[in-house]
Amino acid sequence: MTPPLYIALRFLTHRKRALLLSLSGVVFGVAIFICTQAQTQGFSRYFIESNIGSNGALVVRSRFRPRYEPLMVAAKNSKGTTGRRIYFEGITNPNEIMRVSREFPDVISCSPVLRGTVSARAGFENATVDLYGIDPSLHAQTTDILRQLIDGNFDDFRNNTTAIIIGSRLAELLQIAVGDTVQLLAPNGEYWRFNVAAIARAGIGSIDSTRIYSHAKIAQALLQQPSGASMIIYKLRDRNRAPVLASRFETLFQHNALSWQEREESTLQLFLTLRMSVAITVSLIILLAGFGIFNVLTMSVLAKIKEIAILRSMGYRRRDISAIFLWQGALIAAAGSLLGCLLGALMTWGVSHIPIRLRGLLYTNYFLVTWDWQHYAFATFLALVAVFIASYVPARRAAELPPVVTIRGSR
Amino acid sequence: MSAQVSLSCDRLERYLGEEEERVHALRGVSLAIESGSVHAVVGPSGCGKSSLLYILGLLDTPDAGRVSIETETVSHLSDDELAQKRNKFIGFIFQFHFLMEDFTAQENVMIPMRKLGQLSDEQMRDRAADLLDGVGLGGKLRRPSRHLSGGEQQRVAIARALANDPRVILADEPTGNLDTANSERAFELLQNLVHERGKALLLATHNPAIAEACDWIHEMRDGVIIDSQLRTRRS
Repeated sequence: MTPPLYIALRFLTHRKRALLLSLSGVVFGVAIFICTQAQTQGFSRYFIESNIGSNGALVVRSRFRPRYEPLMVAAKNSKGTTGRRIYFEGITNPNEIMRVSREFPDVISCSPVLRGTVSARAGFENATVDLYGIDPSLHAQTTDILRQLIDGNFDDFRNNTTAIIIGSRLAELLQIAVGDTVQLLAPNGEYWRFNVAAIARAGIGSIDSTRIYSHAKIAQALLQQPSGASMIIYKLRDRNRAPVLASRFETLFQHNALSWQEREESTLQLFLTLRMSVAITVSLIILLAGFGIFNVLTMSVLAKIKEIAILRSMGYRRRDISAIFLWQGALIAAAGSLLGCLLGALMTWGVSHIPIRLRGLLYTNYFLVTWDWQHYAFATFLALVAVFIASYVPARRAAELPPVVTIRGSR
Repeated sequence: MSAQVSLSCDRLERYLGEEEERVHALRGVSLAIESGSVHAVVGPSGCGKSSLLYILGLLDTPDAGRVSIETETVSHLSDDELAQKRNKFIGFIFQFHFLMEDFTAQENVMIPMRKLGQLSDEQMRDRAADLLDGVGLGGKLRRPSRHLSGGEQQRVAIARALANDPRVILADEPTGNLDTANSERAFELLQNLVHERGKALLLATHNPAIAEACDWIHEMRDGVIIDSQLRTRRS
């Protein structure tokens, strides 16, 4: 143990009240930072997981071709050619696109979906629904639909072409359960009868209150669609590569491709803004803790002015004196961060057990939290920086105290 | 054969204060202190005794002149180098003992040793215990310094000044804050240490009895040594 560290430890432990004050500021600052980040990111991550679990990380949809405008000159600020495309609804050759897509190492699986809006009727209840015609096996590989089932059996759906899976909130709205019958209205005015094989809960209100899954062939016949798929959804090894892959797919397949980041941009921005806002507020708490430490260490320098002069007379260098006070700050920061991380984890665990009934954008019965080591690392980093800044000025002041002045003054 | 000069200064000049309050504290002071001798600097308050001690102790720098430890001139060294010299070659004793309150008597004595870094923790403890035993505090090693009496605290300060076995001990009114009995005891202790261990001691004092008991008396007035007398010569 270096002499400055040894002396710093003794100075700290002999001023228990000041130590407790400094320590508590760092502990609570770090803990609150971790807990609030865990909450805000918890909701955000739940939304992303649920969304990707239902709609895929990447979607390829309508075919396009560049508009033939040989005489048109691009505007100066034109960002690209997307504004000069003609779109054709649906995917022309889904099997070929899927075959080529699977060659990409980032793609785990993909599933074609035929999508359309129809009216549903059950008893006296009616609703407009988002019909997803799927290949059960491929869809189960690509999405989290198996995990999302809260009632019924996926095999009952897979083995019966007239069976459907219905969103949980839509089932509540239509007042139906597994085994009940739902009628879907075809564009030609005919009602088609389906058996409810299972109920799915994605956790996102907009999906759970509108979606019905049926077999693709049945959906194609019901919707009277010529194409076999209106989109292909993808499961990726690294979801963060979705924008890059989307760009490549657009060029390769001449079909519109959309990453989950682009698709959910507005909601993600909302979550990000919320996180930033909370992070700024909590960072202020840590800065306040730093200010407290600044006061405590400044008082300590004033209280130890005589000791500093003694140490200098015994051969301690300016940098040793400075190190004594920097060590005090470092010890407070280290102990405070460690205890703050533990308290933060405890608070996060406690918050995750607070009952909350959310049935809007998201579906949850408890506060959603994320356990992410980066929150702990960032809170610790923030505390270390704040405490270092808070310790630096008193440490420098202590080092620059001329010992002769103190010794003369004590006469 | 004459004793080796442990610490010397040559034509020291020192000004203190600013502008109208500027004082010429030392005016061409020269002095040589040999090992095994006790030197007293006497004179009225403000005559420059302490200024001389602080410059000789490398705590302050002169405006002109030079300070040498043995044959090495040190007054031009950097702050870090001066600190190192202080740690190794000089032991300080102040009027108000200046112990570290948060440490025990033994730990106080170990603080200069920690900085020097030449002994293990165990060796430092043993040496501190020996030094404290030498000043009659062998039974109070682990007592917090603030729980010691004034006389005991000054004896701890004496032990601390000897911690790194320095060649020179500088004492600024070492008995100024003690009663007569404790003053005599502290001075006797210092005198014995100097003569037995071959140290050089320079002390600033107002106490005539103590000054009379020193080997040399240097009388200062207005920043000048006006008289130096050899009082005794030991074999």
